[in-house]
Amino acid sequence: MSSETQSFKGVGTPTTRMYGLMAVVALGWVFLGGLFFTPEDAVQGDAVRIMYVHVPTAWVAYLAFIVTGIASACWLIGKKHSMGFDRVAGASAEVGVLFMAMTLLSGSLWGRITWGTFWVWDPRLTTTAFLFVTYLGYLAVRGLGGTAEQRARRSSVIALLAVLEIPLVHFSVVLWRSLHQRATVLSPDGDIKMDGLMLFTLLFGVFGFTVLFAWLVSHRQRIMAMQDAQQITALDAAVTERLKEVQE
Amino acid sequence: MNHAGFIIATYGITFGVIIGLVVYTIKQGRNLSRTVDDKDKPWT
Amino acid sequence: MDLTPRTSPDNAPLAPRKHNHKWKYVAMLVVVVSAGGFIVSQFLTSAIDFYCNVDEIGKREGCEPNRRLRVQGTVEQDSLKSDSGSTTFVLIFNNQTVDVRYNGDPGGIFQECIPVVAHGQLVGDTFEANRIEVKHSNTYSEANPDRLTQSKAEQCSLLAG
Repeated sequence: MSSETQSFKGVGTPTTRMYGLMAVVALGWVFLGGLFFTPEDAVQGDAVRIMYVHVPTAWVAYLAFIVTGIASACWLIGKKHSMGFDRVAGASAEVGVLFMAMTLLSGSLWGRITWGTFWVWDPRLTTTAFLFVTYLGYLAVRGLGGTAEQRARRSSVIALLAVLEIPLVHFSVVLWRSLHQRATVLSPDGDIKMDGLMLFTLLFGVFGFTVLFAWLVSHRQRIMAMQDAQQITALDAAVTERLKEVQE
Repeated sequence: MNHAGFIIATYGITFGVIIGLVVYTIKQGRNLSRTVDDKDKPWT
Repeated sequence: MDLTPRTSPDNAPLAPRKHNHKWKYVAMLVVVVSAGGFIVSQFLTSAIDFYCNVDEIGKREGCEPNRRLRVQGTVEQDSLKSDSGSTTFVLIFNNQTVDVRYNGDPGGIFQECIPVVAHGQLVGDTFEANRIEVKHSNTYSEANPDRLTQSKAEQCSLLAG
């Protein structure tokens, strides 16, 4: 252990605390509004309440994987190969995988109520499941050992290939015949077919989950930075110890 | 509320996982902060 | 990288190697690759052509009437009947219809005027379904008691999206 200072400070900063506060307010509304204050849907009844968490978690998963792709590209292209980019890529993928799992789970419960089944191998569900396992694979590759640079190099290549799946997932309902409904807010004709409070709650949910994503990625990439620093310190200590052995 | 079990399960799992992840992240950050030098924490 | 000292200062036996987490990730990769292969096979056999429309039965490749099919159409207005445990209705798409019989209650939000995908096989002129999945549109509107006064045709157009 070095003699330098280790202050008892977490990984929060004023900016991340602001993200946290905004996320608490927005998600608080999603929870209360989604469960109690928004109206029933004319066709789906109360099942529509699942949409207020299903759509934002899916959005965050997409966003997370896109951020992973961009950060990976920055690492590969950048002359300095800054490990900060690699850590953002890894942190974002971790969050994305978790949110994708929540999307699949909430979608499955929603499907049971509306479609009458938990799962079907239709284009949207199948491509989403494939996207999920692709990023699980990405995380597995990150854990395979080697130096930080080796980890960054191999995982950034995978991230750049995997991000290409996102348009395929999003447009699967247009490209193929799907049981899953088409996009409502991001519909190609620009006509949003959703009533006022429902749309407000959905968009507020998207905002809340997005700032939560920013909070999580900020914190988790700092945690990764500390883990990398710890590894380097341990390596230095081991080398010093080994040198001592040789000298004795 | 119709299908209350499915809806509450969705909200319970989603918000439960989020709260769990946030708490785990804060704890992990604090624990690591104690063992890592401040020079390796540019945000402090 | 394992740089643990090979001996302890008092020449004690070799220090045990730290447990290597790499194998955990290798196992995870194996599971992921297997799952990926399974999903791709499902995609090629099922998802890429998830259903035939009613008007394509017997006319489009893959929609031959002598094989098991997934047929999509809208439950025609005033055609839905439940009788001694079975549900019958007419499925319509592009003005072509097929009679459907399903043993049981389809569940979900199944009702008249809603688009559905029926899994089963044609037996004579009737499509014997053993699974019904309900498609819902991307339109979301507040349930409104005034809607009871709407005409059936208006309600139907709302359900179909």
